Amino acid sequence: MAHDDVEIADGVDHQVAMVMDLNKCIGCQTCTVACETLWTEREGTEYMYWNNVETRPGSGYPRDWESKGGGWESAEHNERSVGEIPSQQDYGENWEFDHEGILKEGEDKALKPENGDPEWGPNWDEDQGAGEHPNNYYFYMPRICNHCTHPSCVEACPRKAIYKREEDGVVLVDQERCRGYRYCVEGCPYKKVYYNAVTKNSEKCVFCYPRIEGEGPDDEVHPPACADQCTTQLRLVGYLDDQDGPIYKLVEQYEVALPLHPEYQTTPNVYYIPPVAPPQHSEDGESVDVERIPRSYLEELFGEQVNDALDTIERERAKVERGGHSELMEILQDKNPAQQYRLEVFDDD
Amino acid sequence: MTDAAQGRRPLLVAGLLAGLLVASAALVPLIADARPAREIPVENVDGSLADPGADGWSDVPAATIPLASAPSGVPNADDTSVRAVEVEAATTDDTLFVRLRWADSSTDRQTSSPRAFADMAAIQFPVNATTQPAIAMGSQSNLVNVWQWTGTGTTQELLAGGPGSTTAFEQPQVSVEATRTTIGEDGGWSVVFTRALNASVDNRTQLAADADLNVAFGVWNGENSERAGQKAVSEWYYFPFGPAEDGAPFQTILWAVAGIAIALVIAVTAISVRRAGQEAESG
Repeated sequence: MAHDDVEIADGVDHQVAMVMDLNKCIGCQTCTVACETLWTEREGTEYMYWNNVETRPGSGYPRDWESKGGGWESAEHNERSVGEIPSQQDYGENWEFDHEGILKEGEDKALKPENGDPEWGPNWDEDQGAGEHPNNYYFYMPRICNHCTHPSCVEACPRKAIYKREEDGVVLVDQERCRGYRYCVEGCPYKKVYYNAVTKNSEKCVFCYPRIEGEGPDDEVHPPACADQCTTQLRLVGYLDDQDGPIYKLVEQYEVALPLHPEYQTTPNVYYIPPVAPPQHSEDGESVDVERIPRSYLEELFGEQVNDALDTIERERAKVERGGHSELMEILQDKNPAQQYRLEVFDDD
Repeated sequence: MTDAAQGRRPLLVAGLLAGLLVASAALVPLIADARPAREIPVENVDGSLADPGADGWSDVPAATIPLASAPSGVPNADDTSVRAVEVEAATTDDTLFVRLRWADSSTDRQTSSPRAFADMAAIQFPVNATTQPAIAMGSQSNLVNVWQWTGTGTTQELLAGGPGSTTAFEQPQVSVEATRTTIGEDGGWSVVFTRALNASVDNRTQLAADADLNVAFGVWNGENSERAGQKAVSEWYYFPFGPAEDGAPFQTILWAVAGIAIALVIAVTAISVRRAGQEAESG
C-alpha cells in the first residue's frame, strides 16, 4: 500500500527507488560492466557509463562533476542553477586497444591505448583517497541516475524531450523528440545524462525499465542489471511509497539511507547507507578512538543528516552485539532475500 | 529697383525653395532605396543558383537584415554573436533560391563531442502563405515551416507550432549548399537554400502563392554554444510574390509630405517678414 507521508512527484503513481549500502561495495565494477554490456555497447556510447563506481574522496566521473553546477537554487524549485557540459577529457576518451594484433597475430608491442597516451579517464584516481598512512581512507561509491523527484534535467529541456514516467517516476529521454541541445547534460548536477555524438541525442540510465516491467524473453520481473549482478548484493530495489518494503523503512522510518548531495534540491530516489570505517591507528598500530573517515567529508556528500544516520546504525549494531534484535540490522544484512527486490507490490493498481 | 519688385523678392525665393524641396522629395527616394522597409527583392533568373558561388548571384539585389537575440527561456539566450545576415532571393519558373551570407570567423562543422556545437542557419515561413504567425516559431493555431541548415552538412525541413514543438519532416524537400567565404574582412558562410515553388504536401509552405510571403531568418554561432533558443533572429520580412502595386511607395509619400510642409513653413515665414517690413515702412 502507498504511504501518504512520502514525497512523490506530481502525476507519478509510485516512485521506484534504490538503496545502496556503501559498506558492502568492493569497487569491483561488476555493476558497471553489467550496465555497459546491456545498454552502452553501441556507437556513440563508448565513453558513457550510465553506472559508474568511483573512489571517494576523489574526482569522480566525469572528473570534478560536483563543481559543474546544475540542480535548483532552492527547495522551492522555481529557479534552476545553470550548469556546464563536461568536456570529453573530463569523461575520458574512448581508449582503443589492439587486442587482435597482440593476442592473435603475435605483434610485439605493449597493450596500451592506441590513440595516444591518456592523461585522464574513469577511475584514474582509483584507490587514492585521502589522508596519510596509517590513516588514509577511501570508499567506493556506485552512481546511476537518481530518477529525481524534482529532476532539473527535465526542467532544463525546452522541448520536454526528457520526462518523468507516470507509473514509476523513471526519468527517460524520448529519442524521437530529443534534438541534442544538451541542456539536460548542463542541468543535471550529478552529470548522469550523456550526449551521444553519433545519434546526436542525449541518453541516460533507464533504471532497466524493460526488466522491472518483466518485458524480457522470460516475461519475469527482474531488478536492474546493476543490482542483479552486484557481487555483494549491496542494492535494494523497490518503491519509496511501499511502506512494507525495506526502502521505505531505511529512508523514511530509520532515516539511515540518504540522498547524495541533498543541497542540489532535486530530491534523488537513489539512497546511500553511509560508510562506517575502522577507527584510526596510532603510529605503532594501536586503534585510537578517532573515526577514520572524517564526518566533515561525509557531511559534504550527504548533508548533516549523516550524523544521525551513523549514530542510528551504531546504536542498532550495539544492540545486536548485546544479543538483542534489530530490524534495521536484518534489513542491512539482507536476511530476507524476498525483501531485497520488491518490484511487483503495486502490479494490481 | 521698384518697391513692388523689392517686396516680391522674398516670395520668389520662397517659391523657388519650395519647388526644389518638392522636387527632391519626389526624386530622392527614387534615386536611393524605394523599397518598402521589410521587402526583400526577388530576382527572376533563368538558370540554377543552387551553388553559393554561382556567377548569377552578382545580378541579384541583396538586403541586409539586422539580427538580435531571440527572446527565449533557455540559459544565455541573450548571448548571441551574429549581428546581421545578407539575404538574396531568386526564382526560376519553378524553384526558389535563397542565399544567406553572414560573418562568422570560426568554422564549426562538428557536433562530435559533448561540448561541440555546429554553426547553423534557418529560414522561417508561415505554413499558410498569406498569414503572419507569431515570430518565435509560430503558434498552435498558425504553424511555421523552418528550413534549417547545420554546419555538419545536414539540412532539415521542420514544422513548428510554437517554441519547443519543432518536428522534422521525414522527407525534406529543401536542399542546401554551403561554403566558407569572406564577408567584409572576416570569414563567414555563404549558404543557398533551394526548394521547388510548388508544395504538394500538407503543412509545407506554398511558395507559388500569388501573394506577398512572410519570411524570417535565424543564425547560430556554434563556437559560442548557440543552439535552440540561443540564436540571432530577424523580425518578419517578406518576399514580394504578390501582384505589383501601382501606388507610390510609402517612403515617397512621406518625403513629399515633409517637403510640402517645409515649403509651407518657408512661405509663411517669408510672407510674415514681408508684412512686418511693410508695416514698419508705413508706420
